[in-house]
Order: sequence, then structure tokens, then C-alpha cells
Amino acid sequence: MRNSRLKLKNDGCSRPGWARLAACFSLALLAVAGRLSAASFTATLDRDTIQVGESATLSLRLEGGTATGTPGLPAIPNLNVAYAGPMHVDMNINGQRSSIDTYTFSVTPTQPGEYAIPALRANVDGKILTSQPLQLKAVKASAAAEGGEQLAFLRLIVPKSEAFVGEVIEVQAQLYLREGVANAQQVFQWFENLGSGAFKAEGFSLLKTAQSQQLQRTQVGNGIYVFATLSASLSPVKTGPLTIDSVNATLPLQLPATNRRRDAFDPFGMFAQYEQRNTAIAAEARTLIAQPLPRENAPADFTGAVGNYSLTVTAGPTNVAVGDPVTVKIQISGRGSLDALTLPAQTAWQNFKAYPPTAKVETTDPLGLQGSKTFEEVVTPATADLKALPPVSFSFFDPEQKTYRTLTQPALTLVVRPSSPVAQPVVAGSTRAAPDSQPQTQDIIYIKQHPGAVAPLGPPLVGQPWFLAVQGAPVLALLASVVWRRRSESLANNPRLRRQRQVAQTVRAGLDDLRKFAGEKNSDKFFATLFRLLQEQLGERLDLPATAITEAVVEEHLQPRGVPEPTTAAVRELFQACNLARYAPIKSSQELAAFIPKVTDALRQLQEIPA
Amino acid sequence: MKRFCFFLFAAIFSLSVGARAAQDFSAAFDAANKFYDQGKFSEAAAAYEKLAQSGAVSAALYFNLGNACYKSGASGRALAAYRQAENLAPRDPDLRANLQFVRNQVSGPTLPPHRWQRWFNRLTLNEWTALAALAFWLWLLLLIVLQWRPAWRPSLRGFVFSSGLATLALGVCLATDFLSLRASRPAVVVAHDAVVRSGPLEESPTAFKLQDGAEVSVLDEKDQWLQVTAGGQRVGWIRRDQAQLLPPS
Repeated sequence: MRNSRLKLKNDGCSRPGWARLAACFSLALLAVAGRLSAASFTATLDRDTIQVGESATLSLRLEGGTATGTPGLPAIPNLNVAYAGPMHVDMNINGQRSSIDTYTFSVTPTQPGEYAIPALRANVDGKILTSQPLQLKAVKASAAAEGGEQLAFLRLIVPKSEAFVGEVIEVQAQLYLREGVANAQQVFQWFENLGSGAFKAEGFSLLKTAQSQQLQRTQVGNGIYVFATLSASLSPVKTGPLTIDSVNATLPLQLPATNRRRDAFDPFGMFAQYEQRNTAIAAEARTLIAQPLPRENAPADFTGAVGNYSLTVTAGPTNVAVGDPVTVKIQISGRGSLDALTLPAQTAWQNFKAYPPTAKVETTDPLGLQGSKTFEEVVTPATADLKALPPVSFSFFDPEQKTYRTLTQPALTLVVRPSSPVAQPVVAGSTRAAPDSQPQTQDIIYIKQHPGAVAPLGPPLVGQPWFLAVQGAPVLALLASVVWRRRSESLANNPRLRRQRQVAQTVRAGLDDLRKFAGEKNSDKFFATLFRLLQEQLGERLDLPATAITEAVVEEHLQPRGVPEPTTAAVRELFQACNLARYAPIKSSQELAAFIPKVTDALRQLQEIPA
Repeated sequence: MKRFCFFLFAAIFSLSVGARAAQDFSAAFDAANKFYDQGKFSEAAAAYEKLAQSGAVSAALYFNLGNACYKSGASGRALAAYRQAENLAPRDPDLRANLQFVRNQVSGPTLPPHRWQRWFNRLTLNEWTALAALAFWLWLLLLIVLQWRPAWRPSLRGFVFSSGLATLALGVCLATDFLSLRASRPAVVVAHDAVVRSGPLEESPTAFKLQDGAEVSVLDEKDQWLQVTAGGQRVGWIRRDQAQLLPPS
């Protein structure tokens, strides 16, 4: 009806001219006004064909009136109805007010078939309005998937229908989503996070799961789908028919709204609008017949390995003394449950002391089915009579050939020398035998009798502030050494500076001597020292030999250099005092001591003379 | 003189207290060993556990604790104890044998170290630290000697270069080991059929299950829950009391 009205409108508007356009617009307004003047009650389904378990949306639209109570649906067998809620819209067009009430229901069929939704009634302002009846078709999930009609579906891929107990099989669960699902990324993320939860396998041991690295695109029926794959390795643990099933879930898929209405807040359609469709997914369960391993012809050393393997044995060193360790590497490569492989007890090794083997698994596929398991066992020869490492054998059941197979590596030549009386071998073993005297390979190594080095619990050294601070000590020492060396080099390359420092040291020591001589009333030594200090200080400042300094220097060098008169006067006075003391020594300690401040001042003033 | 006497007294007192503590530790250790010898593995495990919580630990203590736990049926706690012992004595062949033995016994994901991690794990973090510090001090000592005796430069040049290179290499190793230990947060499942849920709530759906002894990496913590990943593929939340976090070494 909407399409036909749209066509009529288009026909009318196709005529050229402003007058015709105005007439067309007027007719449209009249039509809208006419619609608003009378109340109407309609029922619509967003889809008329859905999958069993999927939900369709039933909308009851009431225009131009207000219903008394909520219109209800009668009970329909195998059809679950859930009321989702009302929506009310007030409209004002050219001053004429109206309203639209929409009541939304979610209907979910539980069985395939045709469902008739009868005409529904609504009491509007005292009048009974009736909607048109609707038809809903529910189809099986698989049928919908084959036709490409379904939004999402799950496939379970089991490569074989029969397997032996202990055999590892790879199964896959694939989730298909039709192109255009807006929240496909989140749905695939959910699927990948399922991990082992994607599989329900009673009677199986789930070994490992892996997901495909990227999504793939394919066509199913008429639909284009994107799918993700989760793989799992399963191993039957009991016999008989076993069922492999997948997760059952209802996915809230978001699809772009196909019949979107004009939104007052988004008149240009800038914001995407989606409608949600709940889609149930469940893969068809698969049955696998698990057969027991045949009892006849089972090798004595068979330990339960099922698959297809090869055996490699290496050992070294092969020239040893009694008690020396020999490392034997036994590598089992192939396809099967590598983690579960155990090394059979090697009965021929009774002349060797064997320590618990270590095992390492290296796989080449994400499920860990293909690869190798390497057992590394340390053995020590007990006697010097041994000539070879005995053959190593490994038995397994080959499910392809349906027979047991035994792989045997030939004996490896070994040279065993008598052991030296003092040297005892140190190998990976306990220093004390276990008191329960169980074979080493069957139990853990016994407890230690001594506590060993006991340390307080605490952060590691590198996290302790005191340790980090201690590391600064050599750095500081190095810096101090560098400074010292540069200072030494600087002095070595500057004789004037070196002399300056030597003179300063001499002056400091000389002043002490002056105080001492003053105390001893030793006039001769006092003035001799004073004279020497003046010579040294003046000689250093004037860059002259100290022995060349006399009182005459004052006139010859100090005055021409512009040395202040008080300084020259003080120096001259001290020189004269020294000369005078040669002829008239001073005997008083106080008098001698009175010279010291004058000497100190004079020397300080001389030190300030520019060089 | 008084100060010297004070320091002497303090040193003697500290030594006597330390010796007494060592004696107590050794006595408690022997008592726990007796439990083990008598086949009372649960009692032995409790005694070792109590000793480990006293603040002083040793590789032998964790080793014996692991043995007692394994013998009493707690493979997960045994693995956790062995892993802690491994942090203290990574080259102990007995420990490696028992750790491997118990790992082979449990079903579930393990956290086998990469080849480079195995190489780094040959030394403890403290041993790497001591080696790097030793090389650093030696290098700086040689540089200091060169400052004081420049004439020795030609003869010491090779030693300085070698020790500098060793310092750099050991520093890189130390940093790598330290950062890798800080980055990894391993845990061991210590409950049978521990349920790992898709969220940190009891009502959250079950994501998968882990067996006692499964080794997982902890990604996050929230209240009483740990977000763990098993083998890097499956992620979920496990109750904190069902997994034992292993401290960094």
C-alpha cells in the first residue's frame, strides 16, 4: 500500500510547472490531514519467514487515538510472545495535533510451521479498532542455512565417523555470519573467546583448541557469508557411540534498518540505525563410534600411545668412566597426542643407573598434534663391562593401519673405563637415596636433609636502595680521580702556578715558624725567616729568583708597577727591620711577636699584586 | 674507646642472634623432615609452610615443601613450591628433575620458558646483579688506576675494554632478566577441577576448567578473582583461592 501510494505521488509530481507542483503539495497535505483525522490500528511483522528459535518483531501501531489498556495477543501454540514495551510520539502538523502509539512484541516460534496471528482488537476512545491478521513462517535452521536465508549458523566438522580410544582427531566449529551484520566483529570475538566452550563432547578428552588467524568469505546458497573457525583436538576416552555437539546460543545480530523512518533529531540520516535480530545458532550434533584398541598382538612395552610416530636415539659422551653421566636423547616424532607420550621402562638397562628423564614437546601446528617429544635421560654405567647402550624400543598403535607397531633403535656402542678412586660423578640426582626404595624413574627425588643457605624474604638486590647507593661509590671515586689528575696536569704545565702554590705553602709554614721563634726569643732565626718569606713572596710575584730580592726591589719593581704606597712602605720597613736586627738583635718576645701581624698584612698585600 | 666497645658489643649481639635464628630454623627444618620420613606428608607440608612464612627461606625448604605437597596429593602446591625453589637455586639438578616429574604428572597447560628464558634462568636475578656489579666495579677500578698511573695505559687497555664490554653485556642481561620477571605474573592452579569463568562473578558462565597443577599467566586482578590465560589462547577468571600467585624472584 505504501509502495502504491509512493507511485501515485511520483506520477503526480512528474508533471512540470510550479502550479502543478503546488497542487501536488496541497494534495499531499490534504492526504496527511485526512489520515490524521481518523484513528487507525495496524499490525506488522518485520519478517514473515524466520528460523525456529529466532525472534520476529510484531508492531501494533495506533494512530490518531489513545487505546484503553495494552492490546494483547491470544495464546498461539508453539509461539512464544514477549511484550517488549510501548512507544508514544506526539505530532503537530499545521497546528493539528495527533499521536502515534506503537506496542512492540517479540514472537519466537519453537517449532517449524505456519503461524497465523489473528486480527487484534484495540479499544480507542470507546471505539473498537481491528488490525489485519498476519502470517509467520518458521523454518528449520539447516533448511534456512542451505538456502542462504539465515543470518547466522554454526557448522560442526568431524573428519571421521570412527576412531580408536586414545586416537586424536581434529574437529572444527565454524560460525557463519551473513555479510552486512553490523556487529559481526563482536560476534566473532565472542566466538573466538569461547575456546573449548564451543564444543560439547561427552566421553572425549579435549586436548587443545586453536582459532583460525583470519576470517574467510564464502557463498552458501544465495547468501554471502563470512565465517570463523575454531579447531579442537579430541581424543575418545571410552568406547561406543559418542556425540560431539556444539554450543547453543542466541546471537543479538544488528542489521541496518531497512524501513527507517525520518527522525526529527537526524533529518539527514547521518547516524546509522540498526535493528536487532536475535538469532539462535546450534550445529547439528555428530556421532562418532569409538572402538577399543585390540587386545591381541599388543606389545609388552605398549604404554597407550596412539598415532603415527618415528624414533631417534642419540647418546653422548660414549667414552666414559664407570659412574660418569651419559645423556641419552630419545626423540619420538610424528602425529598424535605428544603431551601424553610416556617413555616405556627400558628393561635392558639394568646395568645402568637412570635418573628421571626430562621431556620437551615441540609442535609444528597450533593444535599440537604434529611435532616431536624429546626425552632427555641421564644414565650412568654401573660396571666397566658394558660395551653398548642397549636398544631402545617404543610401541604404539597405528589407527590408520589398525595395528600395533614397535620401533627399535639399535644398540649404541659405548666405551666404559674403570672409574678413578677419587673422582665421583656429579649428575642430576639426589645425594641421598629415597628410603622407600622406589625406582628413580617412578618417583620424585627425596627431600634434602640440610636447609642450605637461608636468606630472609625480601626484594632482590637490584631493588634495594642501599645496593644502588653503593654502586655510586666507584663512580664518585672515578670522578675524584679525574679531578685530581686534571689538577696535577694543570700544575705540571704551569710553573708560575706551581710556584705560587709552593710559596703559599712556604708562607703558611714560615708564619708558624715566626710565632715559634718569637716565643723562643730567637731574634736571628726570626728575622732570617722573615727575610726569606719576603724574598719568596716578592720573587714569586715579580717572577724573579728569590735570592735576587733585596730592599732595592721596592724602588726598582714595586713602585713602577703602581703598587700602593702603604704596601711598599710596609715592605721597606720590614726589610729595614731585618737589616737592623743583624746589628741590634731584639731580645723581647713581645717585640718579636708584634712584628707578626705586620708581616702577615704585608705578605697578604703582596699576594694581591697582579703577577 | 667507648664507641668501639659499643660497636663490638652490637656486632657480637647481632652474630649471636643470627646464630640462634639459624639454629631455630635448622631445628624446625629437621622436625619437618622427620614428619616426611615417617610418611606424614601433610604434617610435613604444614611444617615447611609454617617455616617458609617465618620470613627466612631457602631453596631446600621450598624443595622439601614441594615434595611434601606432591606426596600429599597437592600437585599444584608442589609445583608452586618448586617454582619458588627454582628462583633461589635454578641450577639444582634434583629440583629440575622433580619439577619436570610433577609437570609430567599433571594435566593441563604449563608455562615452559622460552629458550632465551631458560638461558637467563640459569642464574638468579641476584646472581646476575652481583655479576654485573662486579664487572662494573672492576671496570671503574681500572679506570681509576689509569687516572693515577697513566703510564700503565698501554698494558691495561685490553683489560679496560674487556671489563667495559662485560659490564655492558651483563647489564643488558640483568635488565632483560629483571624486566622479563617483572612482566610475567605466573600462577599455579591449586584446586581440583577449578572452574574458570568468563567474568569475575560466581554467576558468570563457565569458560573452561583447569586441573590441579595447571600453570597460567595472570593478566588482571579484581577483588577475589584473577584473570588468567592458559596457553595464551583461553582467557577467563578464576577465584583467587584456587590459584597460587608466584612471587617474582
